[in-house]
Amino acid sequence: MTELDKISRRDFIRVSVLAGGGLLVACGGGGSSSRSNAPSGPGDNGGGTPVTPADAFQVGEFMRISTDNKITVLVGASEIGQGALTSIPMIVAEELDADWSQVTAEMSPVAANFNNPYFQNLLQFTVASSAIRGYFQGQRSVGAAVRQMLINAAAKRWGVEADTLRTEASFVIDDIGGRRASYGELSSAAAEEPIPNNPPLKDPAAYRIIGSSQQRLDAADKTNGSFRYGMDVDIPNMLTAVIARPPRFNGQALNVDDNAALAVPGVRSVHTILGGVAVVADDFWSADKGRKALIVQWNELLAGRTDSDTQRNAYNLRLNLPGLPIRTDGLVLLAQTLASETISADYYFPFMAHAAMEPLNVVVDYDGSSAEIWTGTQSATLDKIFAGLILGLLPDQITFHMMPSGGGFGRRGNPLADFVRDACAVAKAVRQPVKVIWTREDDMKGGFYRPAAAVRVSASIDSANNISAWTHRSVTQDVTALLYAENLLDSLADFTLPPLKELTDFETGMPYKIDNVLMDAHLTVNLAMPALWMRSVNKFSDVFAQETFIDELAMKVGKNPYNFRRDLLSEKPRHRAVLDAVADAAGWGFSSGGISQGIAVMGHWNSFVAQVVEVSVSANRELTIHRVVSAVDCGTAINPDLVIAQVESAVIFALSSILFGEILLEDGVVQQSNFDDYPVLRMYQTPVIETVIVNSGNPVGGVGELGVPCVGPALANAIFEATNERIRELPLTRSNFKIA
Amino acid sequence: MFTIRVNGVEHTVDASEDKPLLWVLRENLKLTGTKYGCGQALCGSCTVHVDGQPTRSCVMPISAVGNKQIRTIEDINTEHIGSLVQQTWQTLNVPQCGYCQSGQIMAATALLKNNASPSDQDIDKAMSGNICRCGTYPRIRKAIHKIAAEQL
Repeated sequence: MTELDKISRRDFIRVSVLAGGGLLVACGGGGSSSRSNAPSGPGDNGGGTPVTPADAFQVGEFMRISTDNKITVLVGASEIGQGALTSIPMIVAEELDADWSQVTAEMSPVAANFNNPYFQNLLQFTVASSAIRGYFQGQRSVGAAVRQMLINAAAKRWGVEADTLRTEASFVIDDIGGRRASYGELSSAAAEEPIPNNPPLKDPAAYRIIGSSQQRLDAADKTNGSFRYGMDVDIPNMLTAVIARPPRFNGQALNVDDNAALAVPGVRSVHTILGGVAVVADDFWSADKGRKALIVQWNELLAGRTDSDTQRNAYNLRLNLPGLPIRTDGLVLLAQTLASETISADYYFPFMAHAAMEPLNVVVDYDGSSAEIWTGTQSATLDKIFAGLILGLLPDQITFHMMPSGGGFGRRGNPLADFVRDACAVAKAVRQPVKVIWTREDDMKGGFYRPAAAVRVSASIDSANNISAWTHRSVTQDVTALLYAENLLDSLADFTLPPLKELTDFETGMPYKIDNVLMDAHLTVNLAMPALWMRSVNKFSDVFAQETFIDELAMKVGKNPYNFRRDLLSEKPRHRAVLDAVADAAGWGFSSGGISQGIAVMGHWNSFVAQVVEVSVSANRELTIHRVVSAVDCGTAINPDLVIAQVESAVIFALSSILFGEILLEDGVVQQSNFDDYPVLRMYQTPVIETVIVNSGNPVGGVGELGVPCVGPALANAIFEATNERIRELPLTRSNFKIA
Repeated sequence: MFTIRVNGVEHTVDASEDKPLLWVLRENLKLTGTKYGCGQALCGSCTVHVDGQPTRSCVMPISAVGNKQIRTIEDINTEHIGSLVQQTWQTLNVPQCGYCQSGQIMAATALLKNNASPSDQDIDKAMSGNICRCGTYPRIRKAIHKIAAEQL
């Protein structure tokens, strides 16, 4: 292709003529480094004017318009099931006025131009429900700019003023002259047009694609077996490896007897790496058999010895000590002194595994001077940095293919790139293409769990029966500390670290009108007990405590839990709107036939959710969860059906955690291994799930995690309604509940 | 050496006798639509049809296949019901990450072939062996009912 060289570095779009015709649009600062990034957080006006400076776009070479009028959008966010490969192209197509039926999508290369604006354009990082929030504004502006260039090309061709033309469904239309030309026809000429700096954006009222429920672009390939995940990558001469990992985290292989392993037909070699002992074979089955035949003695001097029971006791003790203040409103101590009563409750939540359906896997083709890597990941930029460190390669010597993932839930967004580092270590030893496969057991025992947490909540009630003070203390591992690890700091020395507040954000966004609030936390780092964010991060535990305790307070002052919340949300209209909407949709207060209801509400990720769970409890403590109703306000729903799908997904994900989710450690050894001892929700246990979208027209909010945190407290509140019993720990199997 | 019949084609495969059919399909025959999820017949991701019966290929050794007819996700569109299932899955936006869906579709196709109007209990029974961590169960149920109501 011929790259046009007439555009200055400050221009945010570069345009090329594709070989054989067509238009290729590239955006970004023009360099491969993102050092010159200007901050460009997601626009917050939600209206029709661009707020991002032209030179801040870092979304790269992201669109192809071919002469047959087909448009391909390259997506920088990871596709982990949430629909990034559909909803991000919808944003571009909207401003471009494209014919949606002719739009397809591909995962982008790993390059600075595709970095997520939510993380200051520093990383391709699909965590924190940030894909739409991060990419929305930039994708709109690029779509609008290209549309203007197509119009300008048509105006020139027809000798008319550009402002007499309009666009519709991938055509430029001249109503006066009675003629039209497709984007495909115009694309080569459009590539010669100067790039408009601040193209006007549509008034949201004029959206045709944004806000419409569209079929997923990957739906066909995901139903005929042709959609390719990392696990499906197959390259010539590729070997397969599995890694024997230490029974306790951070153990090191001391003595390896690989005679029996090497005698297994198909096994090629055995290599000791930092993370364990790799068995490399012609195929998976031989590798796995070889691993079973290995005899390894482990050096456990530095090994983790986390024990679930011991840790729980330690966490409970620390609940008595002040932590790092997260939020301080008013004078809590004074309010507590003046209160007629202060009550409190302690909660405990165990480690949990993400257990995505596609076990971790990485393919590395390393030849000594360059490497090609394929893996399903949420954190491609950091993976690539770590791959370079392990392989001793520069970034431009590595081609990194970000594959779509068979589920992520945070596990594939590990800033320490554990699975990529292991695979690179194997490839370095093998010097032949190799696929490192984690079995389900490897994946389940491999660490990086949602951290265990203890939470204490207290509330003070004054003589007028008002809540005068609120405290909330959490003890847990800090999953963001990983991002500040020394290796990474070195690699990122020239950059500023991304805004991390929202990744943990121990402030739960406690929304209620209470004058005196103290929230604090004990955040520990324990590298011998690898923990990581899991869908909704700490909100899972902190909102559980908050929203069950608020229910207790409602009962205490003799109010209906819905009305009690509503009164305390007088200054939070968006919380109140979803609360009202869910009460309405669920028929709050009108359950019958032994069915009990519970409710909960929260706001986070620039979105809001309220949920009602309906349950009945049999005499032998069998739970039947009949229905979960959700009301969500994510500002602007790009693809409402996918928003609803994400809420359905989150409800089921949450129920798995609430009912069963528990990784137990005994003297450092993980006790669970597969779906028999780590059960997750199945079809017959799944309630009716109903979701309403409250369309507030606000700027886009996150959706992937939104539906998780309120399910637990709403269910616990319903169980209280049914049994008069308060749930203080999860999973519910700990309280001897069974699922019907 | 084993000769197996997959999607109507005979293949001769050089594999150890205990190698599961799943890995023969994926590695030897390059039919990667059938997925590895648990290796213990616990999750259903590897479901294929063996003489029409939904079967967990991850625990079926190649030596046990014999003359039985194997059908995989790559070929299920050649069956009327399989094709309906795939189309309805698309229409209702059933897949999310999609990794378990090959198994779900094979299980749902087998159900609908045997039962043209399955009840919710029938669906629970036929589909509860297939785990989906994205939580697509409500849409799977809806899709099965929709096919039964409108097309069978």
